[in-house]
Parts: sequence; C-alpha cells; structure tokens
Amino acid sequence: MPKLIGITKHREFRTVIFLVLIFLLVGIVNSGFISPGNIDNAVKSSLLYIVLAVGMTFVLLTGNIDISVGGVLGLSAAVSGTILRDGGSVLIAVIAAIGIGVLIGVINGLGVTKLKISAFIMTLGMNEIIRVIQVIYTDGQWVENLPTHFKQLSQMKIFGVNTLAIFVIIAVVLVHLYLSKSQKGRYFAAIGDNEDGAVLVGISVNKVKILSFVISSVCASLAGLVFVSQIGFISTTAGAGIEMTVIAAAVLGGVSLSGGVGSVIGAAIGAIIMSSINSALVFLKVPAFWNNAISGSLLIIIVVTDVLIARRANNKAKKERLNARVLSVHGEGVKLEC
Amino acid sequence: MLKKIPKWNLVLVLTLVAEIIIFGLINPRFWNVNILLNSFNDFTGIAIIGFFVTFVIITGGIDISGGSIIGLTSVVTGILSQVAGLNIWLSVLLAIIVGGLCGLLNGILIAYAGVQAMIITLGGMLLYGGVAIVLVGLSGASTYEGISGFSQQFINLTNGKLMGIPHSVILFVVMLFISYVLLHWTRYGRYIYSTGINQNAADYSGIDTRKIITSTYVLSGLSAGIAGVMLTSYLGSARADFGSEYLMPILTAVVLGGTLITGGKGGVIGTALASIIVGFLKLGLQMGGMQTQYIGLAIGLLLIISVSFLGVPEFRSNVRRLLKR
Repeated sequence: MPKLIGITKHREFRTVIFLVLIFLLVGIVNSGFISPGNIDNAVKSSLLYIVLAVGMTFVLLTGNIDISVGGVLGLSAAVSGTILRDGGSVLIAVIAAIGIGVLIGVINGLGVTKLKISAFIMTLGMNEIIRVIQVIYTDGQWVENLPTHFKQLSQMKIFGVNTLAIFVIIAVVLVHLYLSKSQKGRYFAAIGDNEDGAVLVGISVNKVKILSFVISSVCASLAGLVFVSQIGFISTTAGAGIEMTVIAAAVLGGVSLSGGVGSVIGAAIGAIIMSSINSALVFLKVPAFWNNAISGSLLIIIVVTDVLIARRANNKAKKERLNARVLSVHGEGVKLEC
Repeated sequence: MLKKIPKWNLVLVLTLVAEIIIFGLINPRFWNVNILLNSFNDFTGIAIIGFFVTFVIITGGIDISGGSIIGLTSVVTGILSQVAGLNIWLSVLLAIIVGGLCGLLNGILIAYAGVQAMIITLGGMLLYGGVAIVLVGLSGASTYEGISGFSQQFINLTNGKLMGIPHSVILFVVMLFISYVLLHWTRYGRYIYSTGINQNAADYSGIDTRKIITSTYVLSGLSAGIAGVMLTSYLGSARADFGSEYLMPILTAVVLGGTLITGGKGGVIGTALASIIVGFLKLGLQMGGMQTQYIGLAIGLLLIISVSFLGVPEFRSNVRRLLKR
C-alpha cells in the first residue's frame, strides 16, 4: 500500500513539474506570461474547469464516466441566470442550480446502477436530453441582462487575490483530504479498483456510485453558477463539448479512466494545464487555431508515456516478486531436506 | 428461417415498419419513396462510420474520433484539390488514406501501447479536429465558409442518381455489404468476435489480437474518411467542423442496433436498421411539424430506453415471451 501511494504522489509531482515547465518555457519567450497578473488570470479562467474536474474525478474513481456535465452546466446556468435576471435572490438561484444537479445526478446514478446501462451511454443520452430541455426552457433565446451584483461576485478580491479562487482552492484541498484520508472517501477508489472486492468488504456499492454521479452533477451545476458570474450571458450552447476537455484534464492529472487511481489535486492541476494552453498560445503569438491540435497531441503523448512508464514499473515489480517466490521456495526446500 | 434472424433485429424491423406507418398517417407525404430514399443523404455518413465502429465495439473498444476524422478528410480533400490543384479523384483517395492513417495511429496506441481506447480516441478527437482547423487556418480559407468551388463531377458523386436511386443509397448498401461479408462470412470476422469475447483466450488460441484490434480502428478511420468525402461532395464545400455533431448519432446507431458496448456481441445489420430508424425518425418528426432542435430529446430517450431494454435480463425475457406468443 505505501508503494501505491508513493506512485500516485509521483504522478502528481510529474504533473506539477509539467505545469511549471509550461509557465517557465513560455515565460522565457514572453516574460509577460509569468507576471502575477497573468497567473491570477490563468487561475481565474481555469476555475470553471477545476470545479468540473473535481466532480468528474469522483465518477472516474469509481470506474464510470460522466459525459453529461456540459449539459448540466448549461441548464443550471440558464435556470439560475433566468431567476437572477427576473429579480430573484442569489440564494434561490443557488438552490435551483444545486437542485438540478442532484436530480440529474440521481437519474444518471439510477440508470447506471439499477438499469445497468453503461455510464458512457447513459450520460451521453442524458446530455442530449438536457440540452433540449435547456432549449425548451429558454425558448431558444440567450439569457442576457444579468444583474451586475452577481457578475461582480467573481471579481471580488481579498488581499489582491480573487476570492472565488481562494474558495475553490480550499475546497479542492478539503475534498482531497476527504478522498484520501477518510474511510467513506476511500470507498470511491476502492470500488473503481475492485468492485467485487468492495462488495465483499461491505461497501454499499450502488449507493456510493449514485453519490458519485450526484457529486459530479452538483459540481457541474455549481460550475454553471461560476459560468453565469464570469461570462455574464448564457447562450443555448453554453458548455457544449466542455465534458471532453474536463475528462482530458482529469486524465492529464493522472486520474485513470479504469477507476481506482487518481486524486482531485491532480485533476485540478490538469484543468489548469488545459486552460492555460490557450493563453500560452496567445503569449507565444501562435494563432489560436493551433489550440485543439496541441491539447490533443499533448494528451496522447502524456498518457502514452505514462502508461509505458507504469508498465515498465509493473514488469519490474513482477520480476522481483517472482524472484522472491522462487528464492523462498528454494529456502523451504532446503529446510525440508535438513 | 425466422429463428435464424436475431430477435433484436426482428424488433428493429417491426419498429421501422411501425415508424413508417405512423409517420405516414400523420403526414402522407412520408410514404413518398423518393423522399425516403433522398433522406439517406442525411444519415449515410453516420451509418457508414457506424458499421465499422460496430467492429471496434465488438472487440471491446470504442472510437469517438470518427466525427473529427470527417472534418479532417473533408478539409484535406478541399485543400489538395482546390488549393494545391491536384486531380479531384487523387485528392479524394489521399483524403481517405489520411482517414485510415488516423485510425492506424489510434489502433497502434490502443493495441500495442495498451492505453484505454476512450482516452486515445478522445485525444484523437481533439487532435484530428485540431489539425483540420490548423490546415484551414494555414491555407488562408475562411473558417466559416470553408473551401468551395468543387467541380460538378465531384458534386454529382453523391447528389446524382443511378436508375432513380440516389448514389448515397447505393453507397449505404455497398458499405453494408462489405462490412457484412467481412464480419459474418470471413475468418477475420470470427477473430473480431473472439477478441471481444475473451482477448486472453483468443491470444492463446493463436489469434494476433493486437493486429485485429488495430485493423478495426483502421477500418473505422477509413470509413470516416469515406463519410468525410461524401459529406464534402453532398454539401459542396469542405469545412473543419463537419461531423462535430456525429458522435452521438453514430453511437446511438451502433448501440440501438444491438451491439453490446462491452464487446463480444452485435452485428452490422442491426446498426444499419438502427441508423435507418433514427434517420427516418428525424425526417418524420420534422415532417410532423416538430422543430429540429427538439429532436435530440427523442433520440436521447431512444438511446437510453433501448440500452436498458437490452441490458436488463427481465426486459429481454419479457420481449422473448411476447414474440413467442
């Protein structure tokens, strides 16, 4: 077990090094990139992705996947945006957003656990349905003219640092502690690592799985609120395709799609990497159309290297185990002869 | 004879017949054969990719990069023929080969490096779509309008008719035939199934499963290339974002067609029937006066309901009892 923890620590360490490298290399070319102002900006623009990636990590840890986060983000942004526009209080908007998240999360979770639909298909279909519901709800219109007091929430600062950023970072650390230190938190990774084993240990697997979908959807609906506050208007396609970026971010941060391995801190760093590629290109004066090609090839290169490194380590460990077993058998044989 | 046809395909055929009758009652224009045949233009691309994504899913993998490969091959066709001035048929051939190469990259990384199919094809989706945008950007064409000005000959490739049958229907049938023969009549097809049912067992019985898996991704890439060329010809311009909305319909066709997402079971006939059902559903809902943007709701529900139908044993036994009666 300590060895396993050592490996995951190692993995996040590599992600951090990679992030620092990006900032240093781009910083050498254009020193504006590592100015405090830009780093503040980079963190601010990645908040949305961080919130989504944290929720996604819960689902990925249990070995499932959630494609519907983009749809949930759009719907909760549209609903809470409409409430705010029509003069409703912030509290009601937040409650409505969270309510949407819980509802969709429960439906996703029930579909995956009770109807045994593969998570990919369930959430993909759900995403399509939610999008249409959003169009029906907003009547195909953009939600605009939001009150400025809500937009200013994302611009508030304490000691020169964005308040929302501090809040999100503290939340990420707390969630990390919950997932890695508390008993309940370890259930998520346990299910993804070995579901049958988790059942035998007495974990109510279905409940935890449903919970993971609820957490992911609630995170997505909270991200919808962040979206409303940061962007200030909601188009009918708000958040379309964001789910793939978020999954890529989590994978970059070392979360395994087969479940059981990964941490929210890694996923959050992955999210920062994905969103800072955009601004790095601007500072490098590379045309914006390179964005997808670069993030796609980065994702492939990093994941493939990672798998190859892990496989080598695995083979080595296997060899050591085999050697140890052979040697111990020899030892026993010697004893018997005596 | 009836027993030989898989039950699920029978259900699909019944659904299709019911669909045609119901939509025809709502709007009699739906019974016009020409309109039905012409509607193939809208989903032949989805179906072609769906046939070979079925191969991929039977081996236990998944390929979500098809939509992006459509955009890439469309742009490659446009740039080679319009900007570089190559012969149109040569550029079509090269574009399809590019699609195959994308599939080859996917396949090698998945089968030989052992990375999860979902991650690689997700990366591939970003990469190929991104390369398409880069190519458009470098060629100086407008991203929004795309590359146009194709010869009439090329446009006729899909818009033409042969003895009253649109070319897209012929393409649909030909690709269905090729994939059916490959999957159900050859040794290669049996290997695909064995790989999907139990890869280790297949390995031990002497099948080079890595090669089989790689080849399914290559086929899926090639088919996406063909779909890309077809779409370029149908719409008369080459754009990077063609096919960006194709992920959902392709997977719907495959899964609704009865192919298990976990691998080992399925077939292309089901995929073909399902893609026709979804295509006619869209057409029928439109002709019935439903707005295009609401159709996603119907298709999303169809996807989830059909999968739960296939996945839960009680559901299946109920259907079986109904059919026996």
